[in-house]
Amino acid sequence: MRKWKPDWTTLTLTGVALVLAAVALGQGGSRMVFDGLVSGGQTLLSVIPLLMAAFLLAGLVRTLVSREVVERWLGSSSGWRGIILACLGGALLPGGPYVYYPIAGAMLQSGAGLGVLMAFITAKNLWSVPRLPYEFAFLGTRLTLIRYGLTLVVPPLAGLLTEALFGRVIDRIRKAVQ
Amino acid sequence: MNQATLILVMLALMLFIYAWRRGDGSHRRGASMGWHTLKRTLPLLLIAFIIAGYVKVLAPQDLVSSWIGPDSGWRGLLVGTGAGMLLPGGPYVVFPLIAALYQTGAGVGPTLAIITSWSALALLTVSFELPFLGWRFTLLRIGMGLAIPLLVGLAGTFLFGG
Repeated sequence: MRKWKPDWTTLTLTGVALVLAAVALGQGGSRMVFDGLVSGGQTLLSVIPLLMAAFLLAGLVRTLVSREVVERWLGSSSGWRGIILACLGGALLPGGPYVYYPIAGAMLQSGAGLGVLMAFITAKNLWSVPRLPYEFAFLGTRLTLIRYGLTLVVPPLAGLLTEALFGRVIDRIRKAVQ
Repeated sequence: MNQATLILVMLALMLFIYAWRRGDGSHRRGASMGWHTLKRTLPLLLIAFIIAGYVKVLAPQDLVSSWIGPDSGWRGLLVGTGAGMLLPGGPYVVFPLIAALYQTGAGVGPTLAIITSWSALALLTVSFELPFLGWRFTLLRIGMGLAIPLLVGLAGTFLFGG
Protein backbone atom coordinates (compact mmCIF):
# COMPACT_ATOMS: atom_id res chain seq x y z
CA MET A 1 0.00 0.00 0.00
CA ARG A 2 1.61 3.17 -1.29
CA LYS A 3 1.57 6.36 0.79
CA TRP A 4 -0.29 9.31 -0.73
CA LYS A 5 1.83 11.96 -2.39
CA PRO A 6 0.85 14.60 -4.95
CA ASP A 7 1.16 12.65 -8.20
CA TRP A 8 0.25 13.84 -11.72
CA THR A 9 -3.38 12.67 -11.46
CA THR A 10 -3.96 14.78 -8.37
CA LEU A 11 -2.17 17.73 -9.93
CA THR A 12 -4.15 17.51 -13.19
CA LEU A 13 -7.47 17.29 -11.37
CA THR A 14 -6.50 20.18 -9.09
CA GLY A 15 -5.71 22.17 -12.25
CA VAL A 16 -9.15 21.36 -13.72
CA ALA A 17 -10.85 22.41 -10.47
CA LEU A 18 -8.89 25.70 -10.44
CA VAL A 19 -9.75 26.45 -14.10
CA LEU A 20 -13.45 25.80 -13.36
CA ALA A 21 -13.25 28.06 -10.32
CA ALA A 22 -11.69 30.77 -12.49
CA VAL A 23 -14.49 30.41 -15.08
CA ALA A 24 -17.03 30.67 -12.26
CA LEU A 25 -15.28 33.80 -10.98
CA GLY A 26 -15.47 35.35 -14.46
CA GLN A 27 -19.14 34.47 -14.91
CA GLY A 28 -20.65 35.12 -11.51
CA GLY A 29 -17.97 36.57 -9.29
CA SER A 30 -16.95 35.21 -5.90
CA ARG A 31 -20.58 34.25 -5.28
CA MET A 32 -20.42 31.58 -8.01
CA VAL A 33 -17.01 30.34 -6.82
CA PHE A 34 -18.63 29.83 -3.43
CA ASP A 35 -21.74 28.16 -4.96
CA GLY A 36 -19.59 25.59 -6.77
CA LEU A 37 -17.73 24.68 -3.60
CA VAL A 38 -20.99 24.40 -1.65
CA SER A 39 -22.56 22.23 -4.36
CA GLY A 40 -19.57 19.85 -4.35
CA GLY A 41 -19.43 19.83 -0.57
CA GLN A 42 -23.12 19.03 -0.24
CA THR A 43 -22.80 16.08 -2.63
CA LEU A 44 -19.81 14.81 -0.71
CA LEU A 45 -21.58 15.12 2.66
CA SER A 46 -24.64 13.30 1.34
CA VAL A 47 -22.59 10.31 0.15
CA ILE A 48 -20.34 9.88 3.21
CA PRO A 49 -22.27 6.83 4.54
CA LEU A 50 -22.26 5.40 1.01
CA LEU A 51 -18.51 6.02 0.75
CA MET A 52 -17.73 4.33 4.06
CA ALA A 53 -19.80 1.26 3.12
CA ALA A 54 -18.28 1.18 -0.37
CA PHE A 55 -14.69 1.25 0.84
CA LEU A 56 -15.39 -1.32 3.56
CA LEU A 57 -17.01 -3.54 0.92
CA ALA A 58 -14.07 -3.07 -1.46
CA GLY A 59 -11.57 -3.92 1.29
CA LEU A 60 -13.51 -7.04 2.32
CA VAL A 61 -13.86 -8.18 -1.29
CA ARG A 62 -10.14 -7.76 -1.79
CA THR A 63 -9.36 -9.75 1.37
CA LEU A 64 -11.91 -12.51 0.88
CA VAL A 65 -11.63 -13.11 -2.83
CA SER A 66 -8.29 -14.73 -3.43
CA ARG A 67 -6.38 -14.24 -6.65
CA GLU A 68 -7.07 -17.86 -7.62
CA VAL A 69 -10.83 -17.51 -7.18
CA VAL A 70 -10.94 -14.29 -9.20
CA GLU A 71 -8.77 -15.85 -11.87
CA ARG A 72 -11.13 -18.78 -12.09
CA TRP A 73 -14.35 -16.74 -12.00
CA LEU A 74 -13.42 -13.32 -13.38
CA GLY A 75 -9.93 -13.74 -14.85
CA SER A 76 -9.10 -13.52 -18.54
CA SER A 77 -8.75 -17.30 -18.72
CA SER A 78 -12.42 -17.84 -17.90
CA GLY A 79 -13.50 -16.30 -21.22
CA TRP A 80 -17.15 -15.58 -21.92
CA ARG A 81 -18.28 -17.17 -18.65
CA GLY A 82 -16.23 -14.70 -16.61
CA ILE A 83 -17.51 -11.88 -18.80
CA ILE A 84 -21.16 -12.86 -18.22
CA LEU A 85 -20.53 -13.09 -14.45
CA ALA A 86 -18.87 -9.67 -14.49
CA CYS A 87 -21.87 -8.26 -16.40
CA LEU A 88 -24.30 -9.62 -13.82
CA GLY A 89 -22.15 -8.36 -10.94
CA GLY A 90 -21.90 -4.91 -12.50
CA ALA A 91 -25.64 -4.78 -13.21
CA LEU A 92 -26.56 -5.62 -9.60
CA LEU A 93 -23.99 -3.46 -7.78
CA PRO A 94 -25.46 -0.24 -6.33
CA GLY A 95 -23.65 3.09 -5.95
CA GLY A 96 -21.74 5.61 -8.04
CA PRO A 97 -18.21 5.67 -9.49
CA TYR A 98 -16.68 6.00 -6.00
CA VAL A 99 -18.20 2.55 -5.36
CA TYR A 100 -17.49 0.48 -8.47
CA TYR A 101 -14.07 1.82 -9.38
CA PRO A 102 -12.51 0.81 -6.04
CA ILE A 103 -14.09 -2.63 -6.52
CA ALA A 104 -12.83 -2.81 -10.13
CA GLY A 105 -9.39 -1.78 -8.81
CA ALA A 106 -9.54 -4.64 -6.30
CA MET A 107 -10.54 -7.04 -9.09
CA LEU A 108 -7.63 -5.80 -11.21
CA GLN A 109 -5.13 -6.35 -8.39
CA SER A 110 -6.60 -9.82 -7.75
CA GLY A 111 -5.94 -10.88 -11.33
CA ALA A 112 -9.07 -10.08 -13.36
CA GLY A 113 -8.63 -9.80 -17.14
CA LEU A 114 -9.21 -6.73 -19.32
CA GLY A 115 -12.40 -8.04 -20.96
CA VAL A 116 -13.86 -8.89 -17.56
CA LEU A 117 -13.10 -5.39 -16.21
CA MET A 118 -14.56 -3.76 -19.33
CA ALA A 119 -17.71 -5.93 -19.10
CA PHE A 120 -18.05 -5.10 -15.39
CA ILE A 121 -17.78 -1.30 -15.89
CA THR A 122 -19.95 -1.29 -19.04
CA ALA A 123 -22.67 -3.42 -17.42
CA LYS A 124 -22.58 -1.18 -14.35
CA ASN A 125 -23.09 1.79 -16.69
CA LEU A 126 -25.69 0.36 -19.08
CA TRP A 127 -27.46 -2.51 -17.27
CA SER A 128 -27.64 -0.85 -13.84
CA VAL A 129 -30.53 -2.43 -11.92
CA PRO A 130 -30.41 -0.03 -8.90
CA ARG A 131 -30.73 2.94 -11.31
CA LEU A 132 -33.74 1.43 -13.10
CA PRO A 133 -36.38 2.94 -10.74
CA TYR A 134 -35.05 6.49 -11.30
CA GLU A 135 -35.01 6.07 -15.06
CA PHE A 136 -38.59 4.74 -15.06
CA ALA A 137 -39.76 7.49 -12.73
CA PHE A 138 -38.29 10.43 -14.66
CA LEU A 139 -38.19 9.31 -18.29
CA GLY A 140 -41.20 7.02 -18.48
CA THR A 141 -41.64 3.37 -19.40
CA ARG A 142 -41.28 3.79 -23.18
CA LEU A 143 -37.91 5.59 -23.25
CA THR A 144 -36.55 3.37 -20.49
CA LEU A 145 -37.52 0.13 -22.24
CA ILE A 146 -36.12 1.39 -25.56
CA ARG A 147 -32.85 2.42 -23.87
CA TYR A 148 -32.35 -0.88 -22.00
CA GLY A 149 -33.43 -2.88 -25.05
CA LEU A 150 -31.05 -1.15 -27.42
CA THR A 151 -28.05 -1.45 -25.08
CA LEU A 152 -28.72 -5.03 -23.92
CA VAL A 153 -26.02 -6.57 -26.08
CA VAL A 154 -23.34 -3.92 -25.43
CA PRO A 155 -21.66 -5.01 -22.11
CA PRO A 156 -20.86 -8.65 -23.04
CA LEU A 157 -19.90 -7.56 -26.55
CA ALA A 158 -17.60 -4.82 -25.20
CA GLY A 159 -15.98 -7.36 -22.87
CA LEU A 160 -15.39 -9.98 -25.58
CA LEU A 161 -14.16 -7.40 -28.10
CA THR A 162 -11.77 -5.72 -25.66
CA GLU A 163 -10.36 -9.07 -24.52
CA ALA A 164 -9.81 -10.21 -28.12
CA LEU A 165 -8.25 -6.95 -29.31
CA PHE A 166 -6.36 -5.57 -26.30
CA GLY A 167 -6.32 -8.39 -23.70
CA ARG A 168 -2.54 -8.35 -23.37
CA VAL A 169 -2.40 -4.72 -22.17
CA ILE A 170 -3.74 -5.85 -18.76
CA ASP A 171 -0.27 -6.49 -17.26
CA ARG A 172 0.85 -2.95 -18.00
CA ILE A 173 -2.40 -1.53 -16.64
CA ARG A 174 -2.00 -3.57 -13.44
CA LYS A 175 1.63 -2.53 -12.98
CA ALA A 176 0.91 1.17 -13.59
CA VAL A 177 -1.81 1.33 -10.92
CA GLN A 178 -0.14 -0.76 -8.21
CA MET B 1 -30.17 7.19 4.11
CA ASN B 2 -31.25 6.32 0.55
CA GLN B 3 -31.81 2.97 -1.10
CA ALA B 4 -28.37 2.62 -2.65
CA THR B 5 -26.75 3.36 0.72
CA LEU B 6 -28.99 0.84 2.46
CA ILE B 7 -28.22 -1.95 -0.03
CA LEU B 8 -24.51 -1.21 0.14
CA VAL B 9 -24.43 -1.12 3.95
CA MET B 10 -26.29 -4.43 4.04
CA LEU B 11 -23.90 -6.00 1.52
CA ALA B 12 -20.91 -4.75 3.51
CA LEU B 13 -22.43 -6.05 6.77
CA MET B 14 -23.17 -9.47 5.28
CA LEU B 15 -19.66 -9.76 3.93
CA PHE B 16 -18.17 -8.53 7.23
CA ILE B 17 -20.13 -11.16 9.19
CA TYR B 18 -19.09 -13.84 6.71
CA ALA B 19 -15.42 -12.77 7.05
CA TRP B 20 -15.71 -12.70 10.85
CA ARG B 21 -17.22 -16.20 10.94
CA ARG B 22 -14.31 -17.58 8.93
CA GLY B 23 -12.31 -16.98 12.11
CA ASP B 24 -9.05 -16.09 10.39
CA GLY B 25 -9.11 -12.34 11.08
CA SER B 26 -10.02 -11.49 7.50
CA HIS B 27 -12.81 -9.18 8.75
CA ARG B 28 -10.19 -7.00 10.44
CA ARG B 29 -7.82 -7.16 7.46
CA GLY B 30 -10.63 -6.27 5.05
CA ALA B 31 -11.79 -3.31 7.14
CA SER B 32 -8.28 -1.93 7.51
CA MET B 33 -7.60 -2.39 3.79
CA GLY B 34 -10.77 -0.45 2.98
CA TRP B 35 -9.81 2.29 5.46
CA HIS B 36 -6.31 2.64 3.96
CA THR B 37 -7.72 2.83 0.42
CA LEU B 38 -10.17 5.52 1.56
CA LYS B 39 -7.37 7.52 3.23
CA ARG B 40 -5.17 7.25 0.16
CA THR B 41 -7.99 8.28 -2.21
CA LEU B 42 -9.46 11.04 -0.04
CA PRO B 43 -7.60 14.00 -1.63
CA LEU B 44 -8.68 12.82 -5.09
CA LEU B 45 -12.25 12.31 -3.91
CA LEU B 46 -12.34 15.85 -2.50
CA ILE B 47 -11.09 17.35 -5.76
CA ALA B 48 -13.51 15.20 -7.78
CA PHE B 49 -16.47 16.47 -5.77
CA ILE B 50 -15.29 20.08 -6.13
CA ILE B 51 -15.07 19.63 -9.93
CA ALA B 52 -18.55 18.03 -9.94
CA GLY B 53 -19.86 21.03 -7.99
CA TYR B 54 -18.41 23.57 -10.45
CA VAL B 55 -19.63 21.76 -13.57
CA LYS B 56 -23.08 21.61 -11.98
CA VAL B 57 -23.03 25.37 -11.28
CA LEU B 58 -21.65 26.32 -14.72
CA ALA B 59 -23.60 23.94 -17.05
CA PRO B 60 -25.09 25.88 -20.03
CA GLN B 61 -28.53 24.22 -19.91
CA ASP B 62 -30.46 26.60 -22.21
CA LEU B 63 -27.81 26.40 -24.91
CA VAL B 64 -28.01 22.58 -25.08
CA SER B 65 -31.81 22.40 -25.33
CA SER B 66 -31.95 24.38 -28.61
CA TRP B 67 -29.62 21.98 -30.44
CA ILE B 68 -31.23 18.56 -30.14
CA GLY B 69 -34.70 18.62 -31.72
CA PRO B 70 -36.27 15.62 -33.55
CA ASP B 71 -35.01 16.85 -36.95
CA SER B 72 -31.47 17.65 -35.84
CA GLY B 73 -30.11 14.49 -37.52
CA TRP B 74 -26.45 13.63 -37.05
CA ARG B 75 -25.74 16.99 -35.44
CA GLY B 76 -28.34 16.29 -32.75
CA LEU B 77 -26.86 12.86 -32.05
CA LEU B 78 -23.34 14.29 -31.85
CA VAL B 79 -24.44 17.17 -29.62
CA GLY B 80 -26.42 14.72 -27.47
CA THR B 81 -23.40 12.44 -27.11
CA GLY B 82 -21.17 15.38 -26.19
CA ALA B 83 -23.70 16.80 -23.74
CA GLY B 84 -24.13 13.40 -22.10
CA MET B 85 -20.38 13.12 -21.56
CA LEU B 86 -20.38 16.50 -19.78
CA LEU B 87 -23.51 16.05 -17.65
CA PRO B 88 -22.63 16.11 -13.96
CA GLY B 89 -24.14 14.17 -11.11
CA GLY B 90 -26.01 10.98 -10.28
CA PRO B 91 -29.31 9.72 -11.73
CA TYR B 92 -31.54 11.92 -9.52
CA VAL B 93 -29.73 15.00 -10.88
CA VAL B 94 -29.33 13.96 -14.51
CA PHE B 95 -32.64 12.22 -15.27
CA PRO B 96 -34.85 15.21 -14.32
CA LEU B 97 -32.68 17.41 -16.54
CA ILE B 98 -32.91 15.00 -19.51
CA ALA B 99 -36.67 14.62 -18.94
CA ALA B 100 -37.05 18.42 -19.05
CA LEU B 101 -35.14 18.53 -22.36
CA TYR B 102 -37.30 15.73 -23.77
CA GLN B 103 -40.52 17.47 -22.75
CA THR B 104 -39.42 20.80 -24.24
CA GLY B 105 -38.85 19.23 -27.64
CA ALA B 106 -35.73 17.07 -27.80
CA GLY B 107 -36.03 14.12 -30.22
CA VAL B 108 -36.10 10.46 -29.17
CA GLY B 109 -32.74 9.78 -30.87
CA PRO B 110 -30.77 12.65 -29.29
CA THR B 111 -32.41 11.95 -25.91
CA LEU B 112 -31.33 8.28 -26.07
CA ALA B 113 -27.85 9.45 -27.11
CA ILE B 114 -27.66 11.73 -24.05
CA ILE B 115 -28.79 9.00 -21.61
CA THR B 116 -26.45 6.39 -23.10
CA SER B 117 -23.53 8.80 -23.32
CA TRP B 118 -24.00 9.98 -19.73
CA SER B 119 -24.29 6.33 -18.60
CA ALA B 120 -21.27 4.97 -20.43
CA LEU B 121 -18.97 7.93 -21.09
CA ALA B 122 -19.51 10.54 -18.34
CA LEU B 123 -16.21 12.42 -18.12
CA LEU B 124 -16.65 13.28 -14.44
CA THR B 125 -16.37 9.61 -13.51
CA VAL B 126 -12.89 9.53 -15.08
CA SER B 127 -11.49 11.30 -12.02
CA PHE B 128 -12.63 8.30 -9.96
CA GLU B 129 -11.41 5.81 -12.56
CA LEU B 130 -7.81 7.03 -13.01
CA PRO B 131 -6.48 6.18 -9.54
CA PHE B 132 -7.90 2.63 -9.66
CA LEU B 133 -7.55 1.51 -13.29
CA GLY B 134 -5.09 3.96 -14.87
CA TRP B 135 -5.19 6.05 -18.06
CA ARG B 136 -4.69 3.13 -20.47
CA PHE B 137 -7.98 1.54 -19.37
CA THR B 138 -9.80 4.89 -19.48
CA LEU B 139 -8.54 5.58 -23.01
CA LEU B 140 -9.60 2.12 -24.23
CA ARG B 141 -13.03 2.35 -22.59
CA ILE B 142 -13.84 5.81 -23.96
CA GLY B 143 -12.26 5.17 -27.36
CA MET B 144 -14.27 1.98 -27.91
CA GLY B 145 -17.40 3.44 -26.31
CA LEU B 146 -17.72 6.63 -28.39
CA ALA B 147 -19.77 4.88 -31.09
CA ILE B 148 -22.33 3.41 -28.66
CA PRO B 149 -24.50 6.52 -27.96
CA LEU B 150 -24.45 7.44 -31.66
CA LEU B 151 -25.62 3.94 -32.70
CA VAL B 152 -28.25 3.79 -29.94
CA GLY B 153 -29.53 7.26 -30.94
CA LEU B 154 -29.55 6.30 -34.63
CA ALA B 155 -31.44 3.05 -33.94
CA GLY B 156 -33.88 4.95 -31.72
CA THR B 157 -34.54 7.55 -34.44
CA PHE B 158 -35.15 4.87 -37.07
CA LEU B 159 -37.29 2.56 -34.95
CA PHE B 160 -39.24 4.98 -32.78
CA GLY B 161 -39.45 8.21 -34.76
CA GLY B 162 -37.59 11.51 -34.64
